[in-house]
Parts: sequence; C-alpha cells; structure tokens
Amino acid sequence: MTYIINRLLSVILTLFLITLVTFAVTNILPGDVAMMIMGTQSNPEALSGLRQSLGLNDPLLVQYGHWVGGMVSGNWGNSLIFKKPILELLSQKAVASAIIVIMSMMIALALAIPLGVWAAVHRDRWQDTVSSSSALLGVSLPDFFWGIVMILVFARWLGWFPSSGFVEPSVNFWGTLQHAFLPSLALGLGLMAHLTRMTRSTMTGILSQEFIRVARAKGLAERTVVWRYALANAIGPVITIAGLQIGYLFGSIIVMESLFGYTGMGWLTYQALLNRDLPLIQDTVFVIAAVVMLTNLAVDLLYIVIDPRIRLG
Amino acid sequence: MKRFKTTKGLIGIVLLLAILLVAILGPMLIPADASTAMDMHARRSPPTWVHPFGTDQLGRDMMFRVILGARTSLEIAVSAVVMSVVLGLPLGLISGYFGGFIDNVLMRLVDTLLAFPALLLALTISAVLGPNIQNTIIAIGVAFTPYLARIIRGEALRVAQMPYVEAARSSGTTDIMIMIRHVLPNILPAVIVQGTISLAFAILAEAGLSFLGLGTQPPAASWGLMIQASRDQLDIAPWTALVPGLAVALTVLGLNMFGDVLRDILDPRAK
Amino acid sequence: MKDIVSVDHLRVEFATDSGPVVGVEDVSFTIAPGETLCVVGESGSGKSVTSLSLMRLVEFGGGTITAGTLNFIRADGSTLNVAAATPEVMGQVRGNEIGMIFQEPMTALNPVFTIERQLTDGLMLHKGLDQAAATARALELLRSVRIPEPERRLKQYPHELSGGMRQRVVIAMAMACEPKLLIADEPTTALDVTIQAEILALINRLKRDTGMAVLFITHDMAVVAQMADRVVVMYRGRIVETGTVQQIFEAPREDYTKALLAAVPKLGEMKGKSAPERMRLIGDEAARAAQAAPKARKREVLLDVRNLTTRFPVKGGILRRTVAQVHAVEDVSFTLNVGETLALVGESGCGKSSCGRSILRLIEPTSGEVWIGGRDIGNLNRHHLRKARADMQMVFQDPFASLNPYRRLKDQVAEPIQNFNLASGAELEARVLQLFDRVRLPREFLNRYPHELSGGQRQRVAIARALAVNPKLIVADEAVSALDVSVQAQVLNLMMELQEDLGLSYLLISHDMAVVERVAHQVGVMYLGRIVEIGPRAAVFDNPSHPYTKSLLSAVPIADPSKRRFADDLSFKPITSPIFPLGHQPAPSVYDQIAPGHFVLRA
Repeated sequence: MTYIINRLLSVILTLFLITLVTFAVTNILPGDVAMMIMGTQSNPEALSGLRQSLGLNDPLLVQYGHWVGGMVSGNWGNSLIFKKPILELLSQKAVASAIIVIMSMMIALALAIPLGVWAAVHRDRWQDTVSSSSALLGVSLPDFFWGIVMILVFARWLGWFPSSGFVEPSVNFWGTLQHAFLPSLALGLGLMAHLTRMTRSTMTGILSQEFIRVARAKGLAERTVVWRYALANAIGPVITIAGLQIGYLFGSIIVMESLFGYTGMGWLTYQALLNRDLPLIQDTVFVIAAVVMLTNLAVDLLYIVIDPRIRLG
Repeated sequence: MKRFKTTKGLIGIVLLLAILLVAILGPMLIPADASTAMDMHARRSPPTWVHPFGTDQLGRDMMFRVILGARTSLEIAVSAVVMSVVLGLPLGLISGYFGGFIDNVLMRLVDTLLAFPALLLALTISAVLGPNIQNTIIAIGVAFTPYLARIIRGEALRVAQMPYVEAARSSGTTDIMIMIRHVLPNILPAVIVQGTISLAFAILAEAGLSFLGLGTQPPAASWGLMIQASRDQLDIAPWTALVPGLAVALTVLGLNMFGDVLRDILDPRAK
Repeated sequence: MKDIVSVDHLRVEFATDSGPVVGVEDVSFTIAPGETLCVVGESGSGKSVTSLSLMRLVEFGGGTITAGTLNFIRADGSTLNVAAATPEVMGQVRGNEIGMIFQEPMTALNPVFTIERQLTDGLMLHKGLDQAAATARALELLRSVRIPEPERRLKQYPHELSGGMRQRVVIAMAMACEPKLLIADEPTTALDVTIQAEILALINRLKRDTGMAVLFITHDMAVVAQMADRVVVMYRGRIVETGTVQQIFEAPREDYTKALLAAVPKLGEMKGKSAPERMRLIGDEAARAAQAAPKARKREVLLDVRNLTTRFPVKGGILRRTVAQVHAVEDVSFTLNVGETLALVGESGCGKSSCGRSILRLIEPTSGEVWIGGRDIGNLNRHHLRKARADMQMVFQDPFASLNPYRRLKDQVAEPIQNFNLASGAELEARVLQLFDRVRLPREFLNRYPHELSGGQRQRVAIARALAVNPKLIVADEAVSALDVSVQAQVLNLMMELQEDLGLSYLLISHDMAVVERVAHQVGVMYLGRIVEIGPRAAVFDNPSHPYTKSLLSAVPIADPSKRRFADDLSFKPITSPIFPLGHQPAPSVYDQIAPGHFVLRA
C-alpha cells in the first residue's frame, strides 16, 4: 500500500517536472506568436493588444502559472491553426494513435519473442546468424523508409490496403484497422528488430544460469526447459524493454502518421510544430511525455504482477 | 560464431571506411555545381551510364546528391553525438561516482527528460530554434544527452564500487585523481560503444528530421530530404527513394555492426 | 557387488575459437553402490567436467565426449553407456536414476516458480504421478530434508528462503525419484560453515537411509576427509591418484597429493602452541626452518578500537527517507599490538568486513573511537584522514577486482607513493622495484597488466601496493579465500614473513577457522555485529566459551578422516536479522574475563 502511495506521489512530481521541461523547451522560442496569428502585415497596435490578451507580455513564471493552472482546471487553450479547443482535438486524435501504437507493439512482440528465443537456443550457429543479421538490418533502416516501401508494395502495386488517411472506428471499425495496418506494420518491423536482439540477449543470459542446468538435471525435455523455465524468466525483462520502447514509438508515430496522412496525435504534433502553434505544441508535447511516463509506470506495475520476487519482496 | 563476428566486424569497418571516404573526398572530387545542375532532358531518369543512380524530379544527379548527403549526415551526426557525450559524460560521471543527493537530483531530471521521445524533443527544439544545420545538431545533441548520461552514470556507479577504487581511496588518492585514473579509463569502453551506437541513431534522427522538413533545409543535400522529395513520385521513380534509403541503411548498418563488435571486444561483461 | 558406475578412459574436448581444448583426458574410476566417491582438485582440474559428463550435461557447456565409456547400471539392471545414449534415454535417466545438486543454491532454483512446482514436475514426468500425489510426495521430501514448516514452503518462491534452505530444496529435488546415484558438485562451497555442516550431515544421512551412491566433487580437502569412502585426486584434466580416504590422507603416493595435503591446515593441530606458525609447503622446509623463534617484542598497542558502531540506513519511500537501520557493527572494542595479527572471524553478514572498513573509514562509522599510534582516526577531517591513510592499508578479497585492469602494475604499486610524495623519478622506480622483489614478483611483471597474472600473483601485487607507503597496519579482508589452497599457503607465508621482518600488524578478516588458527595471535569472534568472544588464539580455540564460538568450531570440517563429525543430522540456530527500526538502542556490550585477556560477551 505504501508502495502504491509512493508511486502515486512520484507520478505527480514527475508530471510537474514534465510541465517544467516542456515549458522551458517551448519558451526559448524566438518567434512571435502574435505575429503568427495576425500575419506580418498587421498593425502594431492590434499586435500589442493581442499580446496583452494572450499574456505574452507577462513574466515567464506567470505564463507558466497560467498554462499549468489552465490544464488543471480543464482549460487547455485553443489551437491557433485549427481554431478549436485543444482538449477536444487531443481527445479526437488520441484514439487513432492508441490503435497504431498497440497494433505495432503486438506485431513486434509476436514476431520478436519466438525469433529471439530461437536465436538464443541456437546460439553461435547459423540460426543465430540469420536471426541476428536480419535484426541488425531491421534496426538499420529508418522506419519511414519501411513506410515508403509498404506504400509502394501493399498500396500502389498490390492495392491491398489504403495508402493514406484515417476512418473513425465508430464509423467503420474494419476501415480503421485497414488504414492502421500499414503504418503499424512499418513501425512494428523496426521495433521487432530491436526487441529480437533484446530477447536474444536476455534469453542467452538466462540459459546460462544454474537453475537451467538444474532443470536439465531433472530430466526435463529441452522444449520444457526453454519455453517454460527460461521464457518465464525472460518475459518480465522483455516486457520492460518493450515498455521502454513506447517512448521510441511515440517519437516514430510523428513521422509515420505524417507519412500515411493518418490523423492521430503524431500528425497533430507535426502540424503544431510545422506551424509553430505554440499552445498546441506545449500541450501535445506535454501529453506525449505524460503518456510515455504513465505507460512506463503501468509496465512497472505489470512487472510486479509477473515477477514474484518483487510481488512479495 | 567467431567467424561470423570477425566477418561482421570486417564488413562494418569496410562499410564505414568507404562511407567516410565518400563523405570526405567525394565533395572535393565532383564538380562544384554537379549536384545542383539540372538536366532538364533527363528528369526522373532511371539509372543510366550518364546518371548511375538516376536523377530526381528536377533532373539533378542522384549520385552526386547522395555523396553530398553523406557529408551532411555524418557532419550532423558526429557533431551531435560529440555534443551529447560532452554534456552527458560529466553529468553521468559525477552522478554515478558521488551518488547521494547530487545523484538523486540529476537522475530525477534525466528520468524526466527520458519521458520525452528523443525524436519529439529534437523536433520541438528544431522547430523552436528554426530549422537549419546548426540547430539540427543542437536538437539531436540535446535529445540524446539524457540517454548517454544514464548509461555513463550506470557505468560510473559500477566502477565506483570496484575494489580497485576502494583500494585507491584507501591509499590516499584524491577523488579527482580516482575519477581520472581509475573511473574514466574503465568506463571509456562503454562510452565508445554507446557513442558508436548513438551515431547510428543520430543518422536516423537526422534523416527523420529532414524528412519532416524540420532538419536540413533545401537546397542542401540530405538523405532525409531526398526521401521526402521522392514521396510523390514513388510509382514512376522508385529509385529516388531507394537510393537515399539504401545510403542511410548502409551507413547505419556499418555503424551498428562496428558497434556490436566493439561491444564484444571492449565490454568485459559481454564476455 | 557390481559397480554402479564405471568410467573408462573418458576424454572431453571443448570447442574454442582457437581449436579444440581438452577438458579431461584418460579419466577412469568406478563407484560401488552405497559408496561416496570424492573427486578433489583445484580450479581447472576438470573435476566438474567429469561429473557433468556423467549426466551428459557437458554438451550444454560446449563440451563433447570424444573417447571413453561411461557405464551406468540402470534401475532395471541393464547397463547403459551414457556416452552413447540418445537424448530420450538421457531424459529418463536424469533426475530419475541419477540426481544432481550444484554449487550455487541462490541461483539453482527457478525464481519465478513456486517450490511446489519445481519439486513436482520431475515426479510427474518420471513417475507419472498426478498433481495431488506429486504434491504429497513433495511434502514428504521436504520433511525428509528437515525443512521447517514444509506445508508453507510449498507455496513459497525461492527468494523467500535462506541459502541453506534452498540447498535443502535442491537436495529434495535431486532425491525426488529416489536415484541410485547422487552427484554433488561443490554443494557447500557457497555456504557458511554451520550451514555446510548441516548439508554434509544431511547428505550422509540420506545416503545411509537410501543406500544410494554419492559422487562428491569438491576442492576442499577437509570436506573430502569428512565425506569420502574413496578419493580421486585430479590435476589439469587428469587423474593423479585414486585410493581409499585413509590411503590418500595417511600414505599419499604422488607428490601432487602430498603437496595438496600439506598446504591444508587442520583444525586442532595448533593445540598447545601459543605462537603462529607458517603454513606447510612441500619443498619449503628450508624457509620454514628459517622462521626465527618469535622475537621477544615489547607488547605495544598499535590499534585501539573503542565502542565502534556502524549502522547503515535502509532507505524507502519517495523521499528516500531512512526507514530502518542495519546494525552492521555494534559496540565493538579491541586492541591490536604492534607486529601481531588479530583475526576477526564469523559467518557472512556478521559485520566483520564492515568493521574493517569502518576502522579505515572507507565507510563512516556511526560512533566510537579508532586510535592508531596516538591519533583518533574518527576525528580527522578529510585532509588529515588522507594523510593518515599512509599508516593503514588494505588488501581485498578478490584479486581480479582489486587491480585496475587498465593500468600497468608498476603504476598501480607506485600510486600510493606518489599520493604522499614519498619519492619520484629514479627513486620511485627503485622503490617499486624493491617492492616487487619483496613480494617475490619477477621484475618482468613491472610493465604488465593485471589480466596477464594468476590470482596468487595479483594478490602479491595488491600486497606490494599496500606495503608501498610503509604502513603500520594492514587490514586483510578475506585476502586469501579466493585462492587455491597451495597458493593460499604461499601468500599467507609471505604475509607472515613480512610481519616478522617489518613489524606489521594485521587485522585479518576471515571465515576460515583452520587458517586463522595457524596465523593469528588474537582472535575475535563476531556475531550479529558484536564481538561475542575475544582473546589469545590458543585460549579461544582450546576453550571456546560463548555458545556461538562453540557451534562455529564444531561445524568446521577437519582435514583428517579419523575425526569425522557429520554423521547425524545437525541443526544450528539460524542467524537473525541485523535490521532494526529507527531509534532502536541496543544494550552495550558487557564482557566477562574468564582468563587473562580472554573475554566473553555476557548474554
């Protein structure tokens, strides 16, 4: 119980630090938000009036206070380019991103775990060489390159999947999945390569431990030793590593969603950055960091469920 | 496996040397305007004897542009990684060696920064500062610093607990000298390995930033920019995407192979 | 009766990057039913490779049996050549007809499965029992290895059990299918001496109850003397000598066996002697004769420790506040004379290492005074402490970790001298050279790096480094426990020689009672952070008076087969936790003097 309370307090502290970092990064911005809204030709008086009303003349600390205070009270401000409340935009786009993040993670794990185990079991033999080489190739290609290849092959040549766009799941769930599949696959392949390497090295470590030798000395079949005894120990670390990749995924969706015209959080963030929509930049950056942090927390808690050493210790 | 490792290391080194050679010598050997010269009679020309890698939508020679792009990519990646090592090394070293309050504060900050995806952080910094080569370096360098600081701190912490550090302390060596003589040489292998792997990531990050228009700006040649430009002509001129894509892949592959082998050689724990 | 195992001309090779390397060669021996065969050897002798070959587990470590037969009489009376058996047949034999236990109880159990699951899966596989029957048998097994509260243990995970209990579970697992042969590969090396005694006694009783044969692998001659019916001595992959335990100990034929036995100290052999004696080394008689009768030194106190207390905070919560304290060292007082050795002995976690480090202020003591040569070390500021470190040096346990792998040996030995500006240039070089001579390291080693040296040579470098600044006190923290027994004897003799020549004082921190009996002038027995008994070595060993000292001494295996002590089940009181809530104020240590200089903690 104290553990959970401590974790919660720690979450609040980290969220606070995330707001600080976000604000610090976005407010070294040399550009003029007011001029962006009104255009360079607008008259100076109107500009200064707008600055006043946006609070841009206030000291940074006051601006920061307004921003955080607003978020706490549910007023996240308006986007300058979309002319809409940011909270509304974010809640719309979050679902789309959640779909491809989950989908790509599932694709990656489903492929990486068997492949990594296979490589570790046949360590130093040709199977390992094949698996390690392809994983190495996988981590070496930029994922947007995968995306382009997917578009070329599956959308243009074969025509199996749409090459861009997004459909609301409430409108056509099957269509949503079709639109999400290619970007998820492109993301998942890059991620898979990384997770395969990690699974291999985790399994290699576990397979050299004493309890594996003890299991073999008991006469258990090699199949049981690898897929029950060893994998049960590897699953925790692999999930932790996969969890840490959530951060990487949230970076990659910015590229991938833009490439596929898939209108999720990544796409929204990109529009904000491209158009220097300061309020939207601040909020999306904050939300992504917060989501990454909370996912990592969730993975930690999941680990407690998986690993008895932490569960009871 | 030994053979595989040696082969892997050799391929990695050959790839890296070739790319370095191209990036350093290439721009000197090709005519000054060759990469911007537009051959209007051969726009989107597939690979031919005149244009071995084909031409882009403006009729510019892809081979020359890839060579120039190599220079841009490596310049940015090396500068950014050097920057993150210069920032991350003292942070991690002090945090890991001294521990305690300093460590708590620094690592809390680093953990917070790690919640920001590196690409997002780099994109934001680049957008905020205004995209150009110098700011791309700063953006990637800053975004990578927390990762390096974390790893260096872990290494410093491990080394600081080794008996030879305790032995040095008990024979009157000062903290500064212990850090220079004992801790630094022992974490250096890990820093070199991590630096090599970070270089690979930095190449990818630069390509990503440029691809999104928030990195290197046209008309400068950059692999990411070239892939970006190829998007609208994929079906009619797929080589415009494949050539720079392959360039990125080979460079990153070379760095990763080299890094893997370095890790095997230098990292005592991997043995 | 027919031998249950007969190994004939076994040869095992390992594939390495530079071609095949022979692990063992021409190894032949037999084991009769109900017999304990000990295979003994130093590191690299191939003793473990032999035992792993018998289970065909050697293949998982990259080895291949390239010649020889390994005949095993199966339960149905048929003979199986293990070297040529199929994986399916080996699956039936392993864990069913041959059981095996390993060295590391802390890692021998799968951390994410319950004890029940790990005990029952072999039973269900080999004996076809259903879950309920297997659980019932598991419970029975836990009782037979004398684990307290067996019902509760079944539902627990390995990390909830102590090291001794885990090793009992591993033994229960190996015994589950009532094997005809039990292979024990260094089963007690990682354990404290009292737990070792319990486990050895347990193996003896199980052997007696079931009539199984035991193949016991160890490096420890004292354990061999206690356990073996017959002994195989191995060296560098080959058998040196085979014989009954009496033959081997009383009339060894081979020089290697003689040397090995000579270097082993036997607990009790110093009875009636008051001064320490050098370790026996074959071919070192001359040096031993040269040992001068102890010089009649004026007994002058060098180190005076008064009420030393060290507590470590146990941190918890978001603010990393201290929530409890480990009472590592609790109200410890003693004095150490110039030119003498005080040994602090005790089992792991008793605080002996923390005590040594607190004296050197490598960790900060909570309270107490440490006087060296008229100065209170505890009160010195950083600057003066650094200066004072010249008087007190340390030699660490792990010779592989106590030298910086990236520095030349001469630089590492020179470092302390440079720190105190004692010499520079040619003078410094001469001084380093002299130190290398002093610890008998060849001068070619000056420019080498640590990885080019053996463990014993590295420990000599560490000693040279400690001597560099002419210290008065050397704290030796388990300085020889990582070394093979003959190397250990050489290093100990070097240390004793240096003591005689230079008048050094040693604070020797050790778990090895037999070594301590030979080399120490004074002995302090530590338990839960306190010294429970302290006094002249002869007094403490001949007349142990604190209950803990008594049980500790009774648990030490003696390297003499005529003095067996582990026939019946043994059970020592488990050591309680030294963690206490904040603000806990333990009572001060009060001692009774039962003989001149011999003090015993009052309960």
